[in-house]
Amino acid sequence: MIVTAPPARAARWPAVRPWLGVAVRLGLAAVWLFAGGSKVGDLAASGRAVNAYQVMPYDLAMVIGAALPFVELALGLLLLLGLATRLTAGVSAALLVVFVVGIVSAWSRGLAIDCGCFGSGGQLPEGQAPSYLPEILRDLGFLALAGFLLIWPRTPVSVDGWLTGDAPVEDDDE
Amino acid sequence: MSSRKGQKGAARVVREQLAREQRRRRTIWVSVAAVAVLVIAGLVGWSVYTSQRSDDFTPPTGSNEAGTGVVAGSGPVTVDVYADFLCPACKQFEQAAGPTLDQLISDGGVRVVYHPVAYLDRFSTTGYSTRSSAASGCAAEGGRYRPYAKALFERQPPEGGAGLSDDELVDIAAATGIDRDGFASCLREGTFKPWTEHVTEEASKAGITGTPTILVDGRPVADRSPEGIRAAVEAAGR
Repeated sequence: MIVTAPPARAARWPAVRPWLGVAVRLGLAAVWLFAGGSKVGDLAASGRAVNAYQVMPYDLAMVIGAALPFVELALGLLLLLGLATRLTAGVSAALLVVFVVGIVSAWSRGLAIDCGCFGSGGQLPEGQAPSYLPEILRDLGFLALAGFLLIWPRTPVSVDGWLTGDAPVEDDDE
Repeated sequence: MSSRKGQKGAARVVREQLAREQRRRRTIWVSVAAVAVLVIAGLVGWSVYTSQRSDDFTPPTGSNEAGTGVVAGSGPVTVDVYADFLCPACKQFEQAAGPTLDQLISDGGVRVVYHPVAYLDRFSTTGYSTRSSAASGCAAEGGRYRPYAKALFERQPPEGGAGLSDDELVDIAAATGIDRDGFASCLREGTFKPWTEHVTEEASKAGITGTPTILVDGRPVADRSPEGIRAAVEAAGR
């Protein structure tokens, strides 16, 4: 989005923010759709990836692992549509916090696993070092996207905006 | 004058209040709908997973009692080998330490249980891990598990591709002395796919998170070299 001849520095933010918001919303949607899509083809493997964290009983891990890809796809779709954006951003943030905590705990317990964030997952082959720090930083980046939408959920081209029927810039009270 | 103005103002306040109330209600309903979508998505995942699981499986001849692997030898020390036919490290293990295990079996020192797990289905476009494991079940049914497994590792396809085709799996079987037609129909009918699933699930339940994993009398072996395996077996036999 190019803003031609901004009148003043202060005036630029209100003009840019809605479109930045769209980019953030679609970006986070893409993250979820990609994350869910990469796991949905092999639900048992997704369950094994959860089980590899060794934080819950096997059967529960398999259920969580099977449900997670579908929840991720649903989050992606809701964000794509811009429906209940603040709530979706909140759920996204909560999930990402859980993921980060999971990775930190795996790291601190000395497990050598792949986070299973975008498919794969499970224990790493001998000699391959886990990349926990990049995984955590990446998730924190996604968390920042979710945070943006929590603060400014109103974006143009969204079902939320269409339902309310008013300009997306005003009223941040919802 | 002033009272009419006040009335107008009051009407505006009421209108605004009503509008706000309406907006609030709409937000609540949208939120409820979104939460419902997320919950339903989770339940769909759960039910899809449950429906994908098959309950009945038939282990091939020569399986252990739990039906989780194919047994070779009858020595006092039990060695469990968890491997995926698509896993490069498993191929290395097979080629480096496989002959050692064969030697230990024929010396009567060990009983080896081979668990052909299908952990890496996502690393091929055709679910090669499951297909090859089920094929090894067909080979075991004909009493030729080990030669077939060795041949599969020798011909191991790269990760990320389509893997070997069913025809190639049949050709390899025929080359290792297995009846071609019987093997081909066993493979096509997916006779041992439920068994593969059982093997994989039980391995996962047993805490086997990676391949290859070698257990000697239930204890994981860190050093998977021929010497390491030999040492672990000797230590367990003492």
